Formats: sequence, C-alpha cells, structure tokens
Amino acid sequence: MKLYDQIFDVVKQFRKLFSPGPVTNADVSGSITAEIFIIVSIVLAAILLRHVSVLLAGLVTLILAIVLISNIPLIPKFKIEQEDSLEKMLFYAIVVLCIIVVFLYWGGNLV
Amino acid sequence: MNELIPLMVIVPLMAALLISAFSRFNKVTKIFAFVVAICLPIIPIASNYGLHYFGGYEPMLDNVTNVMFHPAITYSFSFPQQIFIAMIGLLTFLVVFIYLTKYKEVSGPYLFLLFLGTAAVTAMLLTDDIFHMFVFFEILALAQVGIVAASSIDYSYEMALKYMILGSIGSPIMLLGIGFLLALTGSVNVTDIAAAVHNGLVDMTSPVFLLSLGLIFFGWLYASGLPPFHTIKSGIYSKAEPHGAALLQSFTVISMISIVLIMFRIYSSLPIFEVLVVFFSILAMILGVSLALTQTDFRRMIGFLAVGELGFIGLGIGLGTQYAITAGLFQALNEIIITALLFIGFGAIVNATNEVDTRKLGGLLAYHPKVSIMLLIGGLAMAGVPPLSGFQSKLMLVQASLSCGFPEISILAIMVSIATFVVFVKTFYAMFLRPKPNDLEVEGKEVPRSMIFAMGILLIIIILLGIFPDMVINGISSFVGGML
Repeated sequence: MKLYDQIFDVVKQFRKLFSPGPVTNADVSGSITAEIFIIVSIVLAAILLRHVSVLLAGLVTLILAIVLISNIPLIPKFKIEQEDSLEKMLFYAIVVLCIIVVFLYWGGNLV
Repeated sequence: MNELIPLMVIVPLMAALLISAFSRFNKVTKIFAFVVAICLPIIPIASNYGLHYFGGYEPMLDNVTNVMFHPAITYSFSFPQQIFIAMIGLLTFLVVFIYLTKYKEVSGPYLFLLFLGTAAVTAMLLTDDIFHMFVFFEILALAQVGIVAASSIDYSYEMALKYMILGSIGSPIMLLGIGFLLALTGSVNVTDIAAAVHNGLVDMTSPVFLLSLGLIFFGWLYASGLPPFHTIKSGIYSKAEPHGAALLQSFTVISMISIVLIMFRIYSSLPIFEVLVVFFSILAMILGVSLALTQTDFRRMIGFLAVGELGFIGLGIGLGTQYAITAGLFQALNEIIITALLFIGFGAIVNATNEVDTRKLGGLLAYHPKVSIMLLIGGLAMAGVPPLSGFQSKLMLVQASLSCGFPEISILAIMVSIATFVVFVKTFYAMFLRPKPNDLEVEGKEVPRSMIFAMGILLIIIILLGIFPDMVINGISSFVGGML
C-alpha cells in the first residue's frame, strides 16, 4: 500500500516538473514512461557487471533496483541535475574526468 | 584525380573567406554561395580514392627497422570518407539553399561560419594527422559557437558562451593528450603512432600512454556531446536556427566518428578503451532518451534524442568487431540524415506558428499535411521502424551486440528505440493530431518551399538507404575490415 501511495504521489509531483504551464496527459504519461525506462535501463546496464564478477553483478543489480524504486520519482531529480546551469555542467565534467581516471587506474593494465 | 582530395577542404574554406570579404555585394554573394554549395557534394563523388601528401613528401622507408614513416600531412580518401563528405556537402547545400531563400539580405559572416564548419569536418574526416585533426576540431568548435550566437533565438548568446567555456576545458585537455602521444612516439601521424603502438615500441600499460587515452577521450566526449556534455549539446541545437541546428548535429556526428576512429586505431589493443566507449554510449542513450521524454520544447526534445542516438554510434565502435563498427558508421550516416530532416521539419513548424511548446500546439495536420507526414516518417526512421534506414542500422547493432555476447546491450538498444518511438508518438499527437488550441494562430503562415524541398530530398535518401542498405554497408565493411 505504501508503494502504491508513493507511485500515486509521483504523478502529483510531475505537476511541479512542468510548471509554469498546463500539464497534459501526454506529458504525465511521457514522464511515467521516462521514470520506468530509467529504472529498468540502469538495472539492465548493471547486469553487464557479470563480465567482471557474477556476484558483484547480482549485488549491484539488487541494490540499484531497491534504491531506485524506493526513490521514485527520479525524473524530476534528474532533470534538475541536467539543467542548463554552467556550475552543474562543470561539476559533472569534473566527475566524468574522475570516472575516466578510475577506469584507467584499475582497468588500464588489462592488455 | 587525387588533386580533388584537398579541394574538398579548400573549396569551402576559400568560399567562406571570399563570402565574408565580399558580403557587401548581396546578389553576388548569394549566387556564389549557391554555386559553391552545389559543388560540395559533387567533388567527393567525382574524386578517386587514394592518398594526398601535402607538400609532396612521400612516405619514407626505414631500411633498418623496415617501418614506413609519413613526414607529410596526409589525407586519406576512401569509401566512408566519400559517403560522409558527400552527405555533409549535400546537407550544407540544403541548409545554404534554405538560408538564401529565407532572407532577402544574407549575412556574410553567417555563411562564412556554415562553410567554415563544413571545411573543418571534411578535414577531420580526411586527415591522418592527429594534430591537424585537433586544429580543425578547434576551428569547428568556433564555427559552432558562431552559428548558435548568430541565431535570433532568446538566450542563444548565453548558450554559445557556455559551450565555449566548456570547450575551453575539453580542447586543451585533448591537446595535452596529443602532446603525450607525440612525446611517446615522436610523431603526430596516426598511421605511424598506431604502428609504433602495435609493434611494441610503446609500452601500452605505461601511465603516460594511459593518461593520453584518458585526456583524448575526454576531448572526444566534448566533441561528440556524450555525457557530461549532452546537456550543452542539446542546448546549442535548440538555440540555433533550425537549418543551422540540422548542420550542427551533422558536424557533431562527423567529429565524433573521425576522432573515435583515430582513437580506435591507436588504442584498440587496450580493452579498457572499448569499455569506456561502451559505458559512455550507454549513459548517453539512457540520459538522452529519458530527458527527451520529459521535454515540452520540441527543439530541445530533438536535441536530446540526437544525443541518445549518438550512443548507438558509440556502441557500434565500442563493441569493436567488423560488423559492429560497420553498424555504428551506418548508424552515423543515418543519424545525420534523419536528425537533419527532423530539425528542418520542426523548424518549419516554428516558422509557421512561432511556438516551440508542444502544450500550446495542436491540429497542425490540417494546416501543414506535407510537413507532418514527412516528420512522421522521419520520426519512425529514428525510432527504427522498418523499412526505413534507422531500422537497418539499429538491427545491425542489436545483432552485433548479441554476437559479441552482450544480450543486455541488445535489450537496452531495443528499449531505447521503443522509448524514442514513444517520444514521437507523444509529440506528433500533441502537435498534429489533437484539436487546435483556440489561441494558436496558424492561418496564412506558409512553410517555405525550400524547407519542404530539403525534407523531401532527405526523406528519399532515408527510404533508399532503408530498402537498399547494401549500397553503403558493403563499402563501409570493406574499409573497417582493412582498418582492423
């Protein structure tokens, strides 16, 4: 029942996402599709970790699924993070540089 | 006929300079721009395949090591270059044609930027010299900033400035990576660098070599608009004039594939390179499509979809097999055409309604049936609906990821295609099918015929490539086979 209320609350929160301006059925259904798409695709992508370790893939997939579903709605949060603010763009550019360094540090000697 | 190879760069470059210098003479400028634009797709079709050494410095053979060295800046012209340069030339022609027919008084600097961008991407495709590629990459970035800043859309200056600031991070980082490669191998010629790496003259696990990969990779992310640069890339598309956006996205796709192919030739022995490409491609697909689903500005929506589609191209390259890379390059060609069609088509709607918010539009099918049908087919092609070109390349990518042992990626690619389809159904319904809002004024506003002409040409190519994909795939596959 709690999850049902949470999903119902998601629709209400989408109103804020489209403000100012009217919220149409198409916009809400698009946002719900995006919500489901983002959860499923991230969980699916996490399964790729099975090429590193099957146990790791299982754990990460399970943890991601629980964390993502319990934190819905994700799309408003994603949209706020992906806005046109230069500060956020620069922040994520630095984050990505760090990710590349991590990849190369631990995976660079796989030849 | 190999003299035609450098002309592919020189012609648009000279045209840009001349148009900028003599833009006071409006009629002459218009005629000259039109003639040059027509020549652009013809030159690559008329040219023979081969190499061009600037300055005439032929490669030298070191008799001791039996290794060839390339002292000259080398342009390499084969089937993929021909098809991509011809397509960029055609697109430049269509965009210039739309621009010339739209305005009585043309802007010399704007035409300068369009031709400069075309020359830059052509050089990036042709060159076998990594520093030469970087120089034109910088020129391209400036041309892109100019095209966005020159548009009359609100906040276009701000967006162009942000793009330039982010570019001032991405470009020097890439140059630093090229510098490390030069320090390691003593050459900026990609063939020489690749030979040094694959012959064991460079230690592939050395921190400097890995650092050069990381730095050039980051520059590539900026050039191609993959995360974290997907937001700014979709932003600049939405702030440019529609025909300008059509050309901008093609510049992005070309710079993406030209840089990644160079990286592939140098770093393909490192498994982490392919992991990085696949990781960021998947991220682009997920973020691009999910953000497109929540947009109400349809120009921004196409911008995010274009970023999501870039993920498909990266996926093909990242999987690394001959079939997968062929699929990736074919997808790149399709994306150039399909996204250009969508930008021009939605631009036509902006032209007719002065409105970009899907919530304020409706009932346009009755007013603009030709545009709406062509947009629908373009949207279906992007979503991967048979028998259109997008279907062929996406099917190839799904098959490639399955044969590489990554069924998750295949499922993900299909999911992204379905989500793209949802975006189009939603937008098409909102703009064309539902009743027209009372306050929307569309009476008496015609779509320019040049836009319909351009859309028609692009649509024919989409259908032809969908029905006869082999006319492109075979040539690309042979090229990729040679590269591997």
